Amino acid sequence: MARNFEEIAPGRWRLDKNADRAMQADAEVFASRQILQQALDDASIEQVVNVACLPGLVGSSLAMPDIHYGYGFCIGGVAAFPADGGIVLPGGVGYDINCGVRLLASSIPVEEFTAAAESVGYAILQRIPTGLTPRSNYRLNKKEFQRVLFGGAREIIRNFSGAVADLDGIESGGCLPFDSPGVISPKAYERGAPQVGSLGSGNHFIEVQAVEEIYDLPAARVFGLEKSRVAVMIHTGSRGFGHQIASDYIETFRKRNLAGLKLRDPQLVYASISSAEGRNYLQALNAASNFAWANRQLLQEDIAAIFERILRLGWGKLGLRLVYDQAHNIAKFEKHEVAGRTAELLVHRKGATRAFPPGHPDVPEKYREVGQPVLIPGSMGSCSYVLRGTAMGAELTFSSSAHGAGRRLSRHQAVKLAAQSDIRERLRKNGVLVFSLSSQGLKEEIPEAYKNIDDVVAVTVASGISEKVARLRPLLVIKG
Amino acid sequence: MRKYETFSTSADMGIRFKGGDFRELYENALRGLNVLLFGANLRGTAGCAAVPFRFHGDGPENVLVNFLAAVLSQAYQQRKRVAAIRFGQAGRSFLDAKLLVIPCRRPPKIEIKSVTYHNLRLVEAGGLMRAAIVFDV
Repeated sequence: MARNFEEIAPGRWRLDKNADRAMQADAEVFASRQILQQALDDASIEQVVNVACLPGLVGSSLAMPDIHYGYGFCIGGVAAFPADGGIVLPGGVGYDINCGVRLLASSIPVEEFTAAAESVGYAILQRIPTGLTPRSNYRLNKKEFQRVLFGGAREIIRNFSGAVADLDGIESGGCLPFDSPGVISPKAYERGAPQVGSLGSGNHFIEVQAVEEIYDLPAARVFGLEKSRVAVMIHTGSRGFGHQIASDYIETFRKRNLAGLKLRDPQLVYASISSAEGRNYLQALNAASNFAWANRQLLQEDIAAIFERILRLGWGKLGLRLVYDQAHNIAKFEKHEVAGRTAELLVHRKGATRAFPPGHPDVPEKYREVGQPVLIPGSMGSCSYVLRGTAMGAELTFSSSAHGAGRRLSRHQAVKLAAQSDIRERLRKNGVLVFSLSSQGLKEEIPEAYKNIDDVVAVTVASGISEKVARLRPLLVIKG
Repeated sequence: MRKYETFSTSADMGIRFKGGDFRELYENALRGLNVLLFGANLRGTAGCAAVPFRFHGDGPENVLVNFLAAVLSQAYQQRKRVAAIRFGQAGRSFLDAKLLVIPCRRPPKIEIKSVTYHNLRLVEAGGLMRAAIVFDV
């Protein structure tokens, strides 16, 4: 379907709500012309329009520069509703609740790591469960698992290892309020408990990177990033636990909605935030979010132990430290300026990250002067970026930004293309070692399956919603 | 369209399937999912155990999502594949059957995390029912 978007500012396109009778609000896409055309071609624009038809939307239905087709919401979708009297929708969060990215900086020189990269790769693959429904090395009993759901990353630091100071570098301190275990189904517990401390599959990864380029030296210093030093990025989420919660509540909301609101996509089913179902879902979402933060905390500890053992540099010389951990599938209560007044909103971000500006009270104190770190991983073998939140982003996107490169090929198309070359060898020639238990999974994740990360970041910066701080080049990738 | 086929989008993967009645519809959905999970369907049911599945929902979409979720649960949590269905009763809003399951010789090829309702609508035309289901991979 043709949609007449108008470029109202560099990298910012708007479809007026009058373009479609059902639209309650405008649709806005942050994109280059090329990215917008891709979104029109793969119908993800229709998903942005569908969200614009939902009741009570505050501002516009938004899509970030890594927009691509999802279910219900597009990936890269952002939508905000009033905390008081608004709605919540699991489709606006996604199945992998609190899928997110964690970045660690270090004092390790790249040359010293490169010599040991292969050994580190093998060690990570041996230690950290990856791939299809692996069983975690951490055998938690029911009580311990419950405590993880209550305490998130805090619980891991208290009972396993890690520095309390890390909590400052995790969105929401690595824990959202959760005190209602009864809102979670037995099936979710069954799926989740064995998977704490595992990477998962698909596009989840652990990547060791070189800090290749610094664009903003003062901000990089504040974030602890130093050129030619090693960094580590971890991408994973709430595993089967979050997926089951999402499935359970989509089912619950569907039953409640049978009275008959016509939805353009059944996946956009919603409930009032104040309803019992809405409150229960938000509690369950918090539990899944805490699971994911605990998960990434455990993986960090495993990686740190491997680095210490193999690199033999001693803890002080390793200098491994958390830069930031951010969610990109979540709904959170936040205060934003709307029509000149401060409003409390429930902001849904599905494949989009929060990007608070300098001075925001929820930015860790150590970063408050420069703004929240924004982590945008590239596709396998390509660079990743660290950016920071801006005041313009607060104005335009409820402080939201891109979360990755954005898929452009289906898995089937990617596998077909991958058959024409040896992916591992191609990446090795570019200085990237790849480890994966699944050759099929590797083919599905070839770099060509994703948009060019440089283009996504260029639009993100051109539109003013984030600013570049550093570029990270991959050295070693462990794929889930 | 064949009785069942698989497809993928830039988001995820799915199956399209059809049937002249609900039994055929649910059976072809199973067959399509088995192709995604294991590459092919088993020829027979020798050695299978029977696991009851009973679901009453609000419509065929609801039955399909819950039925296929049960198949996934067998594959990942029980490490068994559902080779076939032995029907008791199958209708628009209900399925009462035994799933004939056998231990997986090999794990599934992909990790399907959830069955979605994305654009799921049963279309009835010309004596045939058709649907397409997208899975979160």
